[in-house]
Amino acid sequence: MSLQLILFILFGTISAISSVLMITRTNALISALFLILNFAGLSGLYLTLNAQFIAVTQVIVYAGAIMVLFLFVIMLLKPEHEKYFSHQPKLKIFAFFIAFIVFIQLVFMIFVSHPSQGNNANVAASVKAGTIEEIGKQLYTNYVLPFEAAGYLLLAATIGAIVLAKKKFE
Amino acid sequence: MVQLIYLTTLLPLLGFLFNGLFGSKIKNEKIIGIIGSSTIGISFLIVVGAFFQTLSMPVDQRQTIVNLFTWIKVGNLDVNVSYQVDQLSLLMGLIVTGVGFIIHVYSIGYMHGDKGFGRFFAYLNLFIFAMMNLVLGSNFLLLFLGWEGVGLCSYLLIGFWYDRKFEKSTTSDAAKKAFIVNRIGDFGFLLGIFLIYLTFGSLNFNDVFARAASLNIPQYVFNFIALFLFIGAMGKSAQIPLYIWLPDAMAGPTPVSALIHAATMVTAGVYMVARCSIIYASAPAIMEFVAIIGALTAIFAASIALVQNDIKKVLAYSTVSQLGYMFLALGVGAFSAALFHVMTHAFFKALLFLGAGSVIHGMHDEQNIQNYGGLKKYMPKTYVTFLIASLAIAGIPPLSGFFSKDEILWSSYADGNIIYWLIGVVTALLTAFYMFRLVSLTFDGKERFGHDKHPHESPAVMTIPLIILAVLAAVGGFIGIPEIFSGEHGNQFDNWLEPIFQPAQAKIAMFGVHSSLEEIVLMVVTLVGVIGSIYAARYIYIKNIKPAEKLSKRFNGVYNLLLNKYYVDEIYDASVVTPIVKGSEIVLWKFADIKIIDGLINGVANLIEKISGSIRKIQTGVAQFYALIMMLGIVAALFWIILSL
Amino acid sequence: MLNNFQEFYNIIPILLIGAGFLISLLIEMYFKKSDVILPWFTILIFLAAGFHALYAVNSVSVIFQNMLATGGIVNIFYIIFTFGAAIVALLSIDYIKKYGTYFGEYYILLQTSILGMMLMAGAKDLFMIFLGLELMSVSFYSLAGLNRKRLKANEASLKYFLLGAFATGFIVYGIALIYGTVHSTSIDMIASRFYELSSDKLFIAGILLFLIGFSFKIAAFPFHMWVPDVYEGSPTTIAGLFSTGGKAAAFSAIIVTLGVLFTGRIGNILMPYLAVISVLSMFYGSIVAISQDNIKRMLAYSSISHAGYLLIGLAAGNSFGVAGVIFYLASYTFMNLGAFGIVALIEGKDESNLTLKSFSGLASRYPLLAALFSIIMFSLAGIPPFAGFFGKYYVFIAAIKSNLTWLAILGVLSSVISVYFYLRIVVLMYFKDAETDLKIDVSKTGLAAVIISVLLVIIIGIAPGTIIDLIAFFFK
Repeated sequence: MSLQLILFILFGTISAISSVLMITRTNALISALFLILNFAGLSGLYLTLNAQFIAVTQVIVYAGAIMVLFLFVIMLLKPEHEKYFSHQPKLKIFAFFIAFIVFIQLVFMIFVSHPSQGNNANVAASVKAGTIEEIGKQLYTNYVLPFEAAGYLLLAATIGAIVLAKKKFE
Repeated sequence: MVQLIYLTTLLPLLGFLFNGLFGSKIKNEKIIGIIGSSTIGISFLIVVGAFFQTLSMPVDQRQTIVNLFTWIKVGNLDVNVSYQVDQLSLLMGLIVTGVGFIIHVYSIGYMHGDKGFGRFFAYLNLFIFAMMNLVLGSNFLLLFLGWEGVGLCSYLLIGFWYDRKFEKSTTSDAAKKAFIVNRIGDFGFLLGIFLIYLTFGSLNFNDVFARAASLNIPQYVFNFIALFLFIGAMGKSAQIPLYIWLPDAMAGPTPVSALIHAATMVTAGVYMVARCSIIYASAPAIMEFVAIIGALTAIFAASIALVQNDIKKVLAYSTVSQLGYMFLALGVGAFSAALFHVMTHAFFKALLFLGAGSVIHGMHDEQNIQNYGGLKKYMPKTYVTFLIASLAIAGIPPLSGFFSKDEILWSSYADGNIIYWLIGVVTALLTAFYMFRLVSLTFDGKERFGHDKHPHESPAVMTIPLIILAVLAAVGGFIGIPEIFSGEHGNQFDNWLEPIFQPAQAKIAMFGVHSSLEEIVLMVVTLVGVIGSIYAARYIYIKNIKPAEKLSKRFNGVYNLLLNKYYVDEIYDASVVTPIVKGSEIVLWKFADIKIIDGLINGVANLIEKISGSIRKIQTGVAQFYALIMMLGIVAALFWIILSL
Repeated sequence: MLNNFQEFYNIIPILLIGAGFLISLLIEMYFKKSDVILPWFTILIFLAAGFHALYAVNSVSVIFQNMLATGGIVNIFYIIFTFGAAIVALLSIDYIKKYGTYFGEYYILLQTSILGMMLMAGAKDLFMIFLGLELMSVSFYSLAGLNRKRLKANEASLKYFLLGAFATGFIVYGIALIYGTVHSTSIDMIASRFYELSSDKLFIAGILLFLIGFSFKIAAFPFHMWVPDVYEGSPTTIAGLFSTGGKAAAFSAIIVTLGVLFTGRIGNILMPYLAVISVLSMFYGSIVAISQDNIKRMLAYSSISHAGYLLIGLAAGNSFGVAGVIFYLASYTFMNLGAFGIVALIEGKDESNLTLKSFSGLASRYPLLAALFSIIMFSLAGIPPFAGFFGKYYVFIAAIKSNLTWLAILGVLSSVISVYFYLRIVVLMYFKDAETDLKIDVSKTGLAAVIISVLLVIIIGIAPGTIIDLIAFFFK
């Protein structure tokens, strides 16, 4: 078992457990903290997959900037004053059950399929592909159209958000 | 010009849309009339242009297909909206738009002051649109579209004065009768089209006819196709036993009777049979059947016309009789003779109806010829034109009717069956008699109308069309002068249509109808009979009215039989209509419909409504629940993959 | 990159809307009279893009390093989107005043959503599909909740966003599995390896999850639950856009990505999935629509039912089916926009006049509206000679060709049920007396938009062969 594999399993476990803990907490602040842990685990996963740039971006953007925003929002909204949704325990159990089945189904399929067989990992190439230089080059050559489209997407989302939140009504 | 042929349907359609949408808003009759007529006039000019262009082409290239767009395409069925411009469709197109234009102009005068003026022109334009589709269409489906379209217009126009009484019932009843009787024929026509598609795998005329000539297809298939198509023609062209709607169709305004129920629509069946000549040539038994039906209709309707007193009724039965002539010609294989008669008949019969319309107009809607008399000094133009038309239909040379009728008679004689010829000649004598009975009672003799009527000549907008048609009725026959008179050039009309009917003629291998002395002998015999018949009519109805009454008293039974049109309507009522109505009322309506079908349908509807009401409760409005349902769907789909692949 | 002028020429429709969007932003910022200029500018942009797409329908090419296709069926989709959107914009001019959201952003978001649809239809890479989908969806979410003061609009927007994000999650998961098995996101690559991988469960699971995500967007059972609530809460014109443009875009994504499944060259392995959700959607939509009182909810269920008919064409899995689906989408777009357009015209302030009762006796007071609505209802019910009939006819024929006669029969049965609620409206309009005192100001532009839609429905119904020929020519 290589170190890479051990780290992969470790980070994977951290992100899985932290995500479950995040959605089951009743206190929003604690949920948010688990989300940070989840993001950290994910960026570790990216690192083991030779995606250095994405790993760093994950930490800076999500774990850094976005989480700060989340925490601000949570503190401003004071969620402890909010009423919780009325629970329907039977429905909740049923929902858990369904989610578990989907999980089992997907796991089953991944193991039956053996996708990694016949796929010789070209480590040198994949390390190179993860560098900032290579990503930049790809973005401005082969993927210039998706890059532009992403720009439009963000602009549209910004306009949408502003309209929904700030527009004054007569 | 040939490529512009689509305008001849588009313009009437636009005219219909304009008059239909805005006709009731525009109070100005002139605008409506000019738009309604000019669309047809321009169409006529286009057809004329296309005719001369086609005439300038070599004989073997005179067919042009103008493809507009793909209509329906599914698998092997590939139907285009495309027009076939060839000798036959051009001939029909000329008749439809030419006579149609004249009648449109006439209608401006005739319909003056009617509250449905715009509606009338809208329907007339729609009729021309449908009729042009019928004659120009290059496949059976477009033909059928036109076929149904003219049927619809006929229905709408017969019932145009829906608030007026007609005979014992209303005009709507007459319209319904026409529609239902036509439906019987259309059903046969549809079956024929289905069978054609099944047999030949196509609905395009060119494909079907080429395959009909070349493929080895069992005889009985041809017989069935030809029979079904002919049932359609019987309905539309008013042949025995489906002729009964046409006399009732006279409930419509007179220009409609002239255009639809004399000159154009009713000849659609003749056109269709002629178009399918190759199919009929391959089914000799059905050809024989067509000839018999045609001959019987001709003499049967002519005998009824002898005693009718309504001016339009006489003309209606005369139309049925003349259509019988055309089918007789088709049945003996003289396709171009039939179409020649279609053309001349369109001229003189339209003229007769318009003349009758002029008389009715002048006599303030009086239609009974026993109440006319001596009208010739009041309406000289109408009288002269009417007389020309009567001479033409009676077959007096050199008017048009003489040539076309003679060609039919000669063909039926040359076909080898003397009975057909004999029936044809007797019909010709009867025709001459009833026409001159009509003329004499209307225009000659004493005035038999009351002092409240002030007969007057119609305005110029009505008499000018009469004069134009009179000229056509007089000289129209010269394009089809028989070979025996015209020498080596032969019959120009036949030569023009020859490429269309050549395959069928080859198949029948009919008689070399080359003229001989016999033809002249027969011609003279007929002519002498006709002139005698005219004199008899004039003698009885002008000189002395007594013999007529004596005759009718003496042959009281026969007279009543004819007056009541052989009681055919009553027989149909008793044998078909009443049993169906009663049967449907008692069995189908009261029992099958109300008890079984309504019960079943209401039951199913109630069930579905209940299911619907209970399912809608799933829609709780809770988003989480919606997501859960989605997840259930995903689980099921993934299970399917795990288990199936 | 663009290699020559021809390629530049080919993507003019996308460039027009991309640039038009930015110009619209400037107009909205700097012009006092933007509320007058912007709608017409938007319509102009859509029409220009649409007519260019129509004109350049033959210039088939692949550009931007195998990212975007142009010409052929892509352009046919462009035509559907842009003309549909132009009708929506024309309808909106007076409607959004009535609705109380007279914002320039309305038109700007309309343009971005259409841009997203166009990127989806032209995509040659899963990235482009995803980005296009998101661009469209984000604009839709904002458009649905444009009027913040209305509770129902907020609810619609939020529900649409939550469930839409959920569905997008599945699409991304599917893309990940596809990438994991194909080692590429290029659609050409996926197509070329489809046959070889069709026994790989993981690959098929990826395709299936991808398809499930889009089943949400086309409103197929059981992924349809959002539809009635969202249509009811959104502005009526926007609901019209959801049901037509959104549906057409999702179908375009399925067709461009999985086109290889539907050419008949390899077996249609997803047929059972498609057939089952098709049947369920048809019947669920038709049956539940019967018990609706609100016209918008009824149209929502009708939209679910139509998703079912469209899926028949995909389940048939032959080129006739796909051509039929595209034809159906074109006809459905215009008839449904006509239907929503009339609802938008009749709708009063504060969501009044939306019950079926408001339509009773309409014919005596607004004969033109009643006549137009009747034509649309006949077309939706699939009665010839209108466009809706031929759409159904083509997909049913395709199913029969693929030996799925049972599916076609079920489709016909469902159509029969649907006639009930479509014609009920016609009956209400013509044979019932008015129950409410309906007074509406018929907006001229809105009426024009409805008339254009109806004319298109009639024209498509008269000459269906020409259109289906064009589509079939490009999809072989």
